[in-house]
Amino acid sequence: MIGLMFKDILVLRKTLRSYLLFLLFYVGMAAMGLFSVSFITAFVQIIVMVLPMSAFAFDEQAKWDRYALTLPVGRRAVVTARYLFVLLMIFTAALFALVSCLFLSLFQQGDMLENLGTSAVALALGLLAADLNLPMSYAVGPERARPYLYATVFLPVVAIIGAANLGWLDGLDQLSPSVLTTLFLFIPLLPLVGLPISYLISCRILEQKEV
Amino acid sequence: MINSIEVHGLCKSYGDFALQNVDLTLPAGSIMGLIGENGAGKTTTIKCILNLIARDKGEITLMGYDNIRQERLAKADVGVVLDECFFHDPLRPQDIGTILKPVFSTWDEACFHHYLDQFALPARKPIKGFSRGMKMKLSLAAALAHHPKLLILDEATAGLDPVVRDEILEEFLSFIQQEDHAVLLSSHITSDLEKVADYITYLHQGQVVLSDSKDSILEHYGRVGCTAQQLSEVEPGDLLRVRRGTFGCEGLTCNRGRFQRKYPHLMVEPTSLEDIMLFVGKGEDL
Repeated sequence: MIGLMFKDILVLRKTLRSYLLFLLFYVGMAAMGLFSVSFITAFVQIIVMVLPMSAFAFDEQAKWDRYALTLPVGRRAVVTARYLFVLLMIFTAALFALVSCLFLSLFQQGDMLENLGTSAVALALGLLAADLNLPMSYAVGPERARPYLYATVFLPVVAIIGAANLGWLDGLDQLSPSVLTTLFLFIPLLPLVGLPISYLISCRILEQKEV
Repeated sequence: MINSIEVHGLCKSYGDFALQNVDLTLPAGSIMGLIGENGAGKTTTIKCILNLIARDKGEITLMGYDNIRQERLAKADVGVVLDECFFHDPLRPQDIGTILKPVFSTWDEACFHHYLDQFALPARKPIKGFSRGMKMKLSLAAALAHHPKLLILDEATAGLDPVVRDEILEEFLSFIQQEDHAVLLSSHITSDLEKVADYITYLHQGQVVLSDSKDSILEHYGRVGCTAQQLSEVEPGDLLRVRRGTFGCEGLTCNRGRFQRKYPHLMVEPTSLEDIMLFVGKGEDL
């Protein structure tokens, strides 16, 4: 299973390296006051949603699953390795966003609480994308699962706008910073709870898949 | 000694195609060639053996282990090379070692690099720049580096030039020098199998039509050349298949000596695996 995780990292190492360079560039620019901190969190959100799809796309191109299932690891290990890799990437990216926000707060770039909130949203979006798109990618392949990735992005936005129009979010700006911080910390927990269900569905799909 | 592969009563149906009661036994210390026309069921059989697809019926064991109930044990000593290279383009050969080392407890990095050197594969070059021959040699190096007891190869030599094929066949012959090693090799290139195989199993339309030692097949099967008139004088049970052409007829016998004694006026020649495939695939019953 560790070997399969190594595989994802090695296959995507060029992409990961360029993402890291971009992020460091944004941090540098933000520290100089040329970019907003939100550039970093927005980029992190993109990374956490795109990386799992890239891993699947590379696997599909190489027909990797056919080979992986000849190895003495079992089908469940193939799924476990993919979930662990995705979680590792999501948490690393979110941690990077968080550390960047804390670091940039030293330069008084942006509102600390707002930055913390966007980092939490980035983490939550990454986890939500994993919840939905990993089983979809196993079921129909990364190409056909791509529209669901877009749905993952747009549905929460539509839901928030709808909730705001209905007045459900009125008074949110009146909440104290401590309440808001607690709320932000709870946002990623929701998709995190869905992850075991998503994992079991993916295992079930791969167990029945003929490659 | 335990057989390396035992397949009994294997059935798998796709609706328009079905494997029907396939039996196959590969003794340790030998190479079995799996032959058959496109769509005959060779890859389906190999996929069932590797549990890549679910079978409808039958039993399969690898080195005595059930390939489903004891899948990990069954696959621990198996090296697999399929018809393509499944390693991603951005990877380099040295990365394959990093990936497979935690997968196989018996992975031997030195052995892997020995094969990379032997096959003249650059360890640090991305696989994207490899030719098909290089990719297949890399797959073979990866399959051999954990010291497997069984090699399963599906069309692994297809599309390779004779030099590379010969190099790979040499490797198979050296692999089975150890008596508990065996190779199952599916191939269209019957001349390769005539060089290295000990046993031949011929699949036709999802059924095993011939499974025997290669030497016995080549010793006993024969091709009979005759006219249509002469063919009409042959008893139906004496020829397995016949082919009728404009300038004459040909028949396939499974007992060259007996046929020659019974029909001394007809010419019977030794035959090849390719001839047998052509008779079964394109010929007709007498």
